[in-house]
Amino acid sequence: MAETILFYIFAIGVLFAGAQVVLRRNPVHGALSLVACFFFLAGTYVLLAAHLIAILQIMVYAGAVMVLFVFVIMLLNLKDEELGTPRRTIWKGIGLVSVVGATGAVAWRGLGSAYDSVLAHGAATQLTDMAKHTLPGAPFGSLKAVAHAVYLNSVLPFELTSLLLLVAVVGAVVVAKGKI
Amino acid sequence: MNFNPNDLVGILPAVILTLGGCALMTTEVFLRKDGPDRRYQPFLAAVFGLIALYVSLSQLGDPSATLFAGAAVADGIGRSISAVVSGTLVLSVLLAAGYLETLSASRGEFYALALFSAAGMCLLSQATDLIVVFIALEVMSLAVYSLTAWLRKGTKPAEAAFKYFVLGSFASAIFLYGAALAFGAAGSTRIADLALAVRNANAGSSMLVYAAGALLTVGFAFKVAAFPFHMWVPDVYDGAPAPVTGFMAAGVKAAAFATLARILIGGFGDVGASMGPHGWQSLIVLLAGATMLVGNVLAVPQRSVKRMLAYSSIAHAGYLLVSIAAMAGSEPRQDAVFGLVFYLASYAATVIGAFGIVALIERKLAPTGASDDLTTWGGLAQKHPLLAAAMSLFMLSLAGVPPTAGFMGKLGIFRAAIEAGLVPLAIFGVLTSAAGLYYYLRVVVYIYMVPSTKPEPVVGGRMLTAGVALAACAVLVIWMGVQPGAFATLTQSSLAGFGK
Repeated sequence: MAETILFYIFAIGVLFAGAQVVLRRNPVHGALSLVACFFFLAGTYVLLAAHLIAILQIMVYAGAVMVLFVFVIMLLNLKDEELGTPRRTIWKGIGLVSVVGATGAVAWRGLGSAYDSVLAHGAATQLTDMAKHTLPGAPFGSLKAVAHAVYLNSVLPFELTSLLLLVAVVGAVVVAKGKI
Repeated sequence: MNFNPNDLVGILPAVILTLGGCALMTTEVFLRKDGPDRRYQPFLAAVFGLIALYVSLSQLGDPSATLFAGAAVADGIGRSISAVVSGTLVLSVLLAAGYLETLSASRGEFYALALFSAAGMCLLSQATDLIVVFIALEVMSLAVYSLTAWLRKGTKPAEAAFKYFVLGSFASAIFLYGAALAFGAAGSTRIADLALAVRNANAGSSMLVYAAGALLTVGFAFKVAAFPFHMWVPDVYDGAPAPVTGFMAAGVKAAAFATLARILIGGFGDVGASMGPHGWQSLIVLLAGATMLVGNVLAVPQRSVKRMLAYSSIAHAGYLLVSIAAMAGSEPRQDAVFGLVFYLASYAATVIGAFGIVALIERKLAPTGASDDLTTWGGLAQKHPLLAAAMSLFMLSLAGVPPTAGFMGKLGIFRAAIEAGLVPLAIFGVLTSAAGLYYYLRVVVYIYMVPSTKPEPVVGGRMLTAGVALAACAVLVIWMGVQPGAFATLTQSSLAGFGK
């Protein structure tokens, strides 16, 4: 019961903070809403018994990444007039209705019934069962289980990510470098 | 389950290309800021590309093998697409060599990024796990975004790169949402497990599977520039340096189409399932028809040859989608798979050649800041008869006139579509490609019949490497058109292990 209440608090928090990121005119407010969103998301991870991921979420995303975001926004120091004035057009309305409609349909028809059995057992226990099935002895979400998943099951995507980061760094330097 | 070093042999082309990129960046450190000592770079990049090409061709006949606990696979289609991508890379870097030197923009990072991008394309065509698909897609895309922004003079390249980056990230996000829903339905990101979930989908989870399939398809429709996700193409293809545009048009298409086919056939191929081939086949048929029509119609009024080729690449994405629609079935239809691989190879040779000649015109125009226009092509036949002949050959191949590679490619795809029972789509495709004749032949008319307005030569700068690459493209286009059987090993081995 307490788990369910906590889940709804975190879920509503994620949705509300996520909407604020898009809706706020001031970029600093948007960035801080993103921090809040990350914290609520970390709470959801804790509920899923994924403690390591929750800590990483707070330390890496809410900590390091967001500090960089806020620094960049403050260095750019955009004025109100540079941001332009918001316009309400019919297309934005159509876009909003179709996005909400499409995600609503998927959530209602797809996710609702697909997870009925999962919800009946309780999502966390179900996932713990899954983890026990693959790796006896290490609880789901522990450092050992995550390491097992990353370095054995997903070794190719893990190594490929280092290539991705290398490409991103080289690409960023190329684009940011002076005129060629 | 444990890491097996032998698995690296399966992704050897990608490993070689990555090492090549690292080697180029390492040697760049020891060079002075400017000077002629960068001349070796395109050739070093081409050598690594040739080694990757040789490796993927020599592995073509090998049995398929599952790599890294099912995250990737070494099979026929992966190897043939790796070969196409490596060939694309070699021709593109040779074309870029003189182009960058003329514009004094040669740096090692250009070739390194091209090699990394090609490595991403090879891995993308071998990926059987949606996470690997996503990361390989991003490796490929990030490198291509930065190559698009390579030239910083004027506003066009920056605008093109930014547009490409924003819309490309949007497409990746859509793909990622689809992958998340697929994980929700299957409990795993492996395509094989997804197929299992599709087979066992009940009334409740089928909606999830439908949404996942649609979102994954839309993500790739962006990357291959299918209507209605084609808006970025004209500006990006126009703003990017012409050798990069050729690389983008040939390489990105090849890798993305192979993966789209793998996901749709391998993941959603089961005939018995409600979201089986009949579900996605009608979606792809609609996309293909609209893409062929829109691409060909929008290409007609274009005055710039580069922009015209951009719109024509949308039309060619439509023809390729026809082959995907014809593949539908629990086992992919053989002739449709052959058609796809042959068309990708023939389109690569043709479009790189065409953009290579555009690059020669563009590097002459670049200092004046003007963009190419049909009138700048006037008089090419008098001053450079060989270039004019090559450009006419590429235009005829794009239009699908025998005896060129483009004709054999279109023949294979439309024949596969008719055998799959998609007769109206095939007839529609033939009609739209006939409309394409108009704008392709108009370029030939300007080259041969309209006199030059300016006294100076149409193209400028050193041309030796570009000439070799263009000659190779032209030979390939004629060879594939006259003797398509010579490429049978490339296309036929593509079937082995496909979708497993």
